[in-house]
Amino acid sequence: MRYAILLLGAPYSSQASHSALRFAQALVARGHRLEAVFFYHDGVQNAARLMSPPQDEPHLADVWRRLHAEHSVALLVCIATALRRGLLDEKEAARHGKLGHSVAAPFELTGLGQLIDLGLSCDRLVTFAP
Amino acid sequence: MNNLSGPVSELLVILRHAPHGSSWLREGLDAALVAAAFGRRVSLLFMGEGVTALCRHQGPGPLGQKGTAATLEMLEMYDIDSLWVEMAALERLGLYTEDLMLPTQPVSSDQLAAMVAAAPLVLTF
Amino acid sequence: MKLHILNRSPAVSGVYRQALDAMSPDDLLLLIEDAVLGGAPGLVDYFDEVAGRVYALREDLEARGLAGRLDASIQVIDIDGFVDLTERSKQSVSWF
Repeated sequence: MRYAILLLGAPYSSQASHSALRFAQALVARGHRLEAVFFYHDGVQNAARLMSPPQDEPHLADVWRRLHAEHSVALLVCIATALRRGLLDEKEAARHGKLGHSVAAPFELTGLGQLIDLGLSCDRLVTFAP
Repeated sequence: MNNLSGPVSELLVILRHAPHGSSWLREGLDAALVAAAFGRRVSLLFMGEGVTALCRHQGPGPLGQKGTAATLEMLEMYDIDSLWVEMAALERLGLYTEDLMLPTQPVSSDQLAAMVAAAPLVLTF
Repeated sequence: MKLHILNRSPAVSGVYRQALDAMSPDDLLLLIEDAVLGGAPGLVDYFDEVAGRVYALREDLEARGLAGRLDASIQVIDIDGFVDLTERSKQSVSWF
């Protein structure tokens, strides 16, 4: 089956990101296809390029990147929500005259329309929230 | 609730949070509006404190935050014409449908469950 | 049949009530994260009206040192069981 995940919780602040990752890993292990993870509300924080947890804790952004690399899972971040919270990729940073950027590939800033598309075209959409 | 004259909705968005206290209401509405803009049939269910999203005479937040009242007024333009409110929540809050800024249809808890069961996709905010 | 996912304990948040109101007679309820506490014998009554249709995620119980301590009516499943529930149900609705 084709799955999508909607993640609404910030990394570390709540269990949402951890639960979402565990679920994502389990569903691909069972042979399902995870099309994308859509990050919305505080979930956009999972895309923070400078995320630097202590060495003995899971690096959540790295786990998301690995899912993308190994299973071609799209990592889609709601652009309007991200911008409000200071999460900008190079293009948006340039557009807003900011030095430096806080989101990089494989995380992609995108519109809410992608969430609706995923929800309506995938077989299952599972939401993890704070 | 047997008034489904017209196409059945593809997406049910359930709004459970009041305006200003969090961004959930704004984010849920944005998702609903985007879906409608893309031509999807969307139903909105205001549940629990979400019913207060429709109160008349809302103002901006203390720091000038826009709030969601203006967005709600746009719902008709977007062809979202199915607005449902949880009756029990209205009663708890001492509100009547006449106090709300837009025409809505009240639902009982049984009807609510039926709506959730029937919708191809449900998003909660 | 739909799967409702609850992540807050009924003792601290009223959202469980909304999940229950939204459930149809054949829908299932999965307790994850802090909601697994709701399966404790002293709290399980919150879910009386859906008795027999409530699941709890094992790894969230184990992380909290509560393995084996839930009321017998709660069906404990692991992460594969969670995926399985999502396969079997038409879709899931999350309550937070």
